[in-house]
Amino acid sequence: MSSRAHTHTTPLSHFIWVLVALLTLLALSAGSALIKLGTFNTVINIGISVMKTLLVMTVFMHETEARTLTRLVSALGFIWLTMLLSLALFDVVTRAPVPAPW
Amino acid sequence: MNTASGAHLEEQFSDPTQQREAATLGMWVFLSTEILFFGVLFAAYVFCRVLYPDGFAVASRRTDMLLGTVETAVLLTSSSLVALAVRSIKLDQRRWAAVLLFATGLLGTSFLVMHGFEYHDEYTEHLVPGLDFDQTGPYARAMELFFCLYYFITGFHSLHVLVGVTLLFVLTARVARGAFGPSHFTTLELTALYWHLVDIVWIFVYPVVYLVGRSG
Repeated sequence: MSSRAHTHTTPLSHFIWVLVALLTLLALSAGSALIKLGTFNTVINIGISVMKTLLVMTVFMHETEARTLTRLVSALGFIWLTMLLSLALFDVVTRAPVPAPW
Repeated sequence: MNTASGAHLEEQFSDPTQQREAATLGMWVFLSTEILFFGVLFAAYVFCRVLYPDGFAVASRRTDMLLGTVETAVLLTSSSLVALAVRSIKLDQRRWAAVLLFATGLLGTSFLVMHGFEYHDEYTEHLVPGLDFDQTGPYARAMELFFCLYYFITGFHSLHVLVGVTLLFVLTARVARGAFGPSHFTTLELTALYWHLVDIVWIFVYPVVYLVGRSG
């Protein structure tokens, strides 16, 4: 059964290790949020979320085994999202404060 | 090739692998639109948080961090269970696949119940803008914005979880009836992709909703 190309299966241990890694990362983000780190609290938490997402996408969603076209399309949503978020941020952070004339 | 595998092959495809890859590609196009759907809500969040960083920290501290963390753990576990269910069906372990799908659906249901408790607590604390919101002080407006975004983001996410749970229970019944096997599991695989994406959205909801200003 498993010798067929399209029924390739990931070993059970991979899934268990990824789940352990995901829960460890969750504990790390909850723990680090309680320590006063200023802006780095946000940086660490978003960084951990990106790591979790990569784990889910590569192992659970089998993105590493997917065709190049599928991989490109799966990255597209995230690329557009990055553009949306960065352009929205450029606007707010570069806007010069103009005091109201009244 | 198709007769050997027993899978139903539509005439526009030359083999089952091509058919499955086309379905996966189509699913990813749909998931990209989902990423952008939630992306707009996240963009609004980023915009408001840059404008009102202190107000958002005060508002975030009013959410239930413990429940939020448990919900995250539940969704992460459910994601691994659905991935295992797809693996089981590939290995022709239909019984296991049905059990794992059912367990995933139960975890999804428990997520919804926990979120219901959260909404109830926020209602009793008068934190629902437009319905019952009585916060005062310098951060009241920013808190109102935070909770508006909170209800939009988590509300739409819960709606996605509800759709996912329904699909999971329907698929559990279909797997138990023997509708899927090692050569035809595309529906199962696509539903798993959808469930993983719902999980990924929550992975980002968790730090931006529950973890802001916890150290202050």
